[in-house]
Amino acid sequence: MNKYQSLITIIKNSVADLIRNKLRSFLTMLGIIIGISSVILLISLGLGLKMYIQEQFKALGSNLIIVMPGKMMSGGGASYQTAMMSGFKFEEKDVQALKKLDSLNTVVPLFSRVLDIASDKENKVYETIVSNEEIFDIMNMEIEFGRLYNKGDVSKRKKIAVLGFGPAEKLFGSAETALEKNVKIGNQTYKVVGVLEKKGGGGGVVPSIDDHVFIPHTAAISFNPGRKFMALYARAADEQNIEQTKNDIKEVMLKKYSDDDFSISDQKELLSSINSIFDIISLVLTGIAAISLIVGGVGILNIMYVSVAERTKEIGIRRAYGATRNDILVLFLTESALLSVLGGFIGLIIAQTAVLGIKQFFPAYIDLTSIILALAVSWSIGLIFGVLPAVQASKLTPIEAIRRD
Amino acid sequence: MSASYQHAGRQNRLKQHHMGILLSIIKTSLSDFDRNKLRTFLTSLGILIGVSSVILLVSLGVGLKNYITEQFENLGSNILIAMPGQIFGGDRQMTGGNFSGITFTEKDYLAIAKVSGIKAVAPAYVKTVSVSFEGKTEIGSYYGTTAEIFPMRNLEAGYGQIFSAGDVEKRKKIIVVGPKIAEKLFGNMGSFVGKTVKIEDQGFKVSGILKSKGGGGFGGPDFDSFLYVPYKSSPKINQEKKFSVINFQADSETVIDTVKESVTALLERSYDEEDFSVIEQTQIQETVTSIFAILNGVLVAIAAISLIVGGIGIMNIMYITVTERIREIGIRRAMGATRRNILSQFLFEAVFLSFIGGSFGLIVSLVIVFIGSRYFPLAIDLMSVVVALTVSTTIGVVFGVLPARKAALLSPVEAIRYE
Amino acid sequence: MITLAHVNKIYQIDGEEFYALRDINLEIKQGEFTAILGPSGCGKSTLMHIIGLLDTPTSGTLLINNKDITKLDDNELSRLRNEFAGFIFQQFNLINKLTVLENIMLPTIYSAKKYSYEPKTRALELMDRFGILIKQKSYPNKLSGGQQQRVAIARALLNEPKIILADEPTGNLDSKTGKNILDLIRELNQKEGMTVVLVTHDREIAESCQRHISMLDGKIV
Repeated sequence: MNKYQSLITIIKNSVADLIRNKLRSFLTMLGIIIGISSVILLISLGLGLKMYIQEQFKALGSNLIIVMPGKMMSGGGASYQTAMMSGFKFEEKDVQALKKLDSLNTVVPLFSRVLDIASDKENKVYETIVSNEEIFDIMNMEIEFGRLYNKGDVSKRKKIAVLGFGPAEKLFGSAETALEKNVKIGNQTYKVVGVLEKKGGGGGVVPSIDDHVFIPHTAAISFNPGRKFMALYARAADEQNIEQTKNDIKEVMLKKYSDDDFSISDQKELLSSINSIFDIISLVLTGIAAISLIVGGVGILNIMYVSVAERTKEIGIRRAYGATRNDILVLFLTESALLSVLGGFIGLIIAQTAVLGIKQFFPAYIDLTSIILALAVSWSIGLIFGVLPAVQASKLTPIEAIRRD
Repeated sequence: MSASYQHAGRQNRLKQHHMGILLSIIKTSLSDFDRNKLRTFLTSLGILIGVSSVILLVSLGVGLKNYITEQFENLGSNILIAMPGQIFGGDRQMTGGNFSGITFTEKDYLAIAKVSGIKAVAPAYVKTVSVSFEGKTEIGSYYGTTAEIFPMRNLEAGYGQIFSAGDVEKRKKIIVVGPKIAEKLFGNMGSFVGKTVKIEDQGFKVSGILKSKGGGGFGGPDFDSFLYVPYKSSPKINQEKKFSVINFQADSETVIDTVKESVTALLERSYDEEDFSVIEQTQIQETVTSIFAILNGVLVAIAAISLIVGGIGIMNIMYITVTERIREIGIRRAMGATRRNILSQFLFEAVFLSFIGGSFGLIVSLVIVFIGSRYFPLAIDLMSVVVALTVSTTIGVVFGVLPARKAALLSPVEAIRYE
Repeated sequence: MITLAHVNKIYQIDGEEFYALRDINLEIKQGEFTAILGPSGCGKSTLMHIIGLLDTPTSGTLLINNKDITKLDDNELSRLRNEFAGFIFQQFNLINKLTVLENIMLPTIYSAKKYSYEPKTRALELMDRFGILIKQKSYPNKLSGGQQQRVAIARALLNEPKIILADEPTGNLDSKTGKNILDLIRELNQKEGMTVVLVTHDREIAESCQRHISMLDGKIV
């Protein structure tokens, strides 16, 4: 027989062995099943969350540049708090100054606050974004019903609001009925002139982009008496040249502020920070889940020793008819690898099923890498934890083995 | 003999009988483990790994909690903070920051200082600045404040001295440097007292360098990184003498609530109630602690999965053991052993395996904590030990009962005949 | 074909040396039918295991076709076991979880040899010749002793070995079945010229063989 055919026979025999000892095989596989499914599940949750947040940022476009107060990214923890505590400093004048730059298409000042929003029926709390008319373009939000507020509205300080899909539904029952109605924000009244398209995403634990309310900054004096802004969002004209654009912005800002008063970040930097954070979290969680894989492997190790002991005579017979040490090694490694791979496969299916269920409430995603990882890992566990007993089996001389009772 | 005496005698015999059975169970188990040393070892190894990883994670949680508590206690006791915006929403949940742009004034500071029950007040204006010394420039946090910050927050000078209230009044251009930023600027710190550093073109003479406090992060400010300047001394940096935050300290724990109310009422006269909040330091501590506790809980739960896998391993091996000893079971039954005796025998072995694994797991984690606590926040509490031993025993019972039952239910005559 | 020179097999028991085989010198020529006779414990099975390459001598040489096999490594020995020798045991030693056909085909799994015939066909032919063809899908524990031994013989013959080694092949069989098996083995030797070495404690059987050797206490007498 050639090598290929004998391997097929060995595998067939191993499968038959496993079926014959159903309970034992099942319990042995169960460890790997539990281990793999928990590992894959955790990875998919991390991946789902990461992708969700990345999507949010990507939707904003790669030419997005954000100017924030203080040096958030450097200087350590103290700087972060300092930035929070130093208050907001950007003003309308800064927006005008930046608008003069050729390398920027749009500049938008941003201020946000979580406020109580009330209709005549309901009231709920939403993050309210205070900006000018170009905020919708920058955030890629489209209007569904009614209209967005425009430059004219902003300069006339009109007390109007544009609702995201979420608030419109929750406060008025349906998005359409929200139009032309009044909402009370803080203790001021605003007229709803538009409702945004539903963007989806998030839901459950993770907040959605639909759950925001937008008002012109000129009409928000009561919430923002200082008329200062938390951040400036800008769109670079040339995506390829973000570094240069950032430098242009820096030059303009330095005319008014000291270098430590602000920081300029682009979407790439933000995305990579997010990536690193999630990768670390994922790694830690997965590492801990992997402990159960190790315990499962120990179970395989134990059972394989039992298997070798039980089949000592069979080993002797095979050796008597020409099996080499290697053949015996392969015989037992096949069994442990089979147990492990089957366990991994079933674990994968369970994880996949769970993810389909969870997707309703929480972002979760299994990618090809995870699948390959699952199978490769379970394969390795079978080999690693099967090798010692298999080697022990192969070292038996034919005569020792046959003589065994 | 009276009936009660006979009864007592029978009780004793029963006790001895039970003891005898227990002893024989233990002997049989031990000889079985001895005969199958490798198998015994591997089976309990699973529980060992599971228990030690759970305990290690729990001790990480305990250690972190202790560390956080220590850090916060180090920052001074009975401390409250008035700050802009709302960190906690209506029902004390973190709403992730609701920032308002207000800053406190000198008037606010002086008014708070007059509130009864307050021991000390230290307002602070915080701003990111660049600070340079002999050509070297670093980014640091300017902390314009009063002299009371030092005793309030248990800050001591490592080199030189802290400034006094008098220095503040006299608008002395002096600076006390936090050790972290001092290290960045000066390297070796001792000889820099008396030298001058520049902040935004203003020169300040170094009056002292603080001893390190450690900590920072965890939601508490990092006092090692600040540049402390008397607030009146830098009109260029803080023209309007505004403050980003006001720290104040209550006389004692009992008056904290009244002090909080008074200060809140006072500030409400000038500001909208949504624009500021007065928080006890312990609130922040509790929040941070509970966040970490939840995270830790998740990790422990994940680690606990391995305990289940270990239990499954025990179940598997016990089934095999039962099959191997079918003839022995039959013989014992033929000699008068009851179903219960057989059940106890195998259940005991499972529990024993589990318990041994758990105990060694406990020992392993104790060793790791002992060694590791020098570098990581790790701490064992008595609860962990008790839980570890209880859990491992329970696992033995839960995962051993089915195979033991199978053994007990074997019919004696079939068992004896088994080839 | 096979030459043993000064072969010793020594076991260490409780610190003392025990000679299972003592200075064995033996030659087996092609086509011979040799019986090795002796009481239990005389070393005949040990000698058999050494000739059949299941065990190695403690000292001395074993030449097969003039090649010193004590110098071969385990893989080369395994190849010889597969292609050169066919073993038949007293306890049949079939693998109970494999079917009869799978048992007979076992040597093919480990064979590196270039077959000039289709192994499965040969297996079926052997089964037919030994009258066990209908049992091909059955499991060994469902067969009678004689049938099981016949399966074992078919297995031993599958790879066209040069020598058949039978260790008390009739020991677990009743006298009638045993006689049938012996006749079968004799036929292999006489009709097909197969070299046979047979171990027995039965004098009658031994003397009915072409050549018989007696052993006692590890020595040929």
